[in-house]
Amino acid sequence: MDNVDSDDNSDSDNDRPSLAEQRGVDGHVYQPAEDSALLAKAAIGDMTAPGRVLEVGTGSGWVAEQVASETDARVVGSDLNPHACRQARERGVEAVRADLVAPFAADGFDAVLFNPPYLPTEPDNEWDDWMEHALSGGTDGRRLIVPFLDDVGRVLTADGAVYLLVSSLTGYEIVVDLAEEAGFETAEVAQESYPFEVLSVLRLTR
Amino acid sequence: MKESLMDILCCPVDKHDLELTVETKDDEEIIEGELTCTECGEAYPIEDGIPNLLPPDMRDEAAA
Repeated sequence: MDNVDSDDNSDSDNDRPSLAEQRGVDGHVYQPAEDSALLAKAAIGDMTAPGRVLEVGTGSGWVAEQVASETDARVVGSDLNPHACRQARERGVEAVRADLVAPFAADGFDAVLFNPPYLPTEPDNEWDDWMEHALSGGTDGRRLIVPFLDDVGRVLTADGAVYLLVSSLTGYEIVVDLAEEAGFETAEVAQESYPFEVLSVLRLTR
Repeated sequence: MKESLMDILCCPVDKHDLELTVETKDDEEIIEGELTCTECGEAYPIEDGIPNLLPPDMRDEAAA
C-alpha cells in the first residue's frame, strides 16, 4: 500500500485522492495486491499439511482461494464487509460475515491468516465507507491488530500458527512486541521491500 | 454455507453452540436459514449462502 500520510502532501483534504483512488481500486472490496501475494506465498510455503485454515478479512477472497488451490486444507474466509463476503463466495471460498474471529469455535483452525487494514490514518482523513474499513488501521495503523491478537489464540489448535502481514508503516517491532505480550512466539517467514514500506509476514505460534 | 461448517462456528457473543434451521438448500449448501445460539437464543441469519455472524450491535450499525 502507498503511504498516504506523507508530510509533503500540500493538497487540501478535499483535493487529495482517496486511498482507493491512489491504489487504483474501485468499488467496495479490497482487491489483491503485493501484500496479498506475499501473505499467500509465505503461508502456503510455511504450512505443513494444514487441515483447516481461516483467512480473516478475506476481502476479494483471493488469498483464501490460493491456499485452497495449493493445499489440501479446508479454507474459510471471513469479512466484516458483506460485499467482500459475496465476492469471496463467488470465488468458491466458504464465506462467513464476522467480526475478526468472534464466531469461530475454540481449537478450530490449524492456521489463521490476516492481512489487516494497516494504513495509519488521521481521524480527519477517515471517510466512512467499506474501502476505509479495508485500508485504514486508525491513527497508529494497529486498530484491528490488537483485538485480533487478543482473541486469535482461542480458535487455533495447540500446534496452530497465525500468519500476519505487517507493514513497516504499522511499526514492525511494535507488532512483534504486541504478539509476544499476547503469548505468541514470533518468526519472520517472508519480507519484501517496496518504495514506501517493507512488508513482512510474521508467523505466530505458542 | 455447508452444514459441516457448524463444527467450527459458535455464537460470537457467548461462544456457545449454534443450532441450524434450514429454509432453502442447494445441493450441499444451505442458502437461506438461521443459526440460533443454544444458550442466549440470539438468532443469526443465513442469506444467499452466507451466515451473518456479526454480534447484534454490529449487525445493526454496519452499513450495507
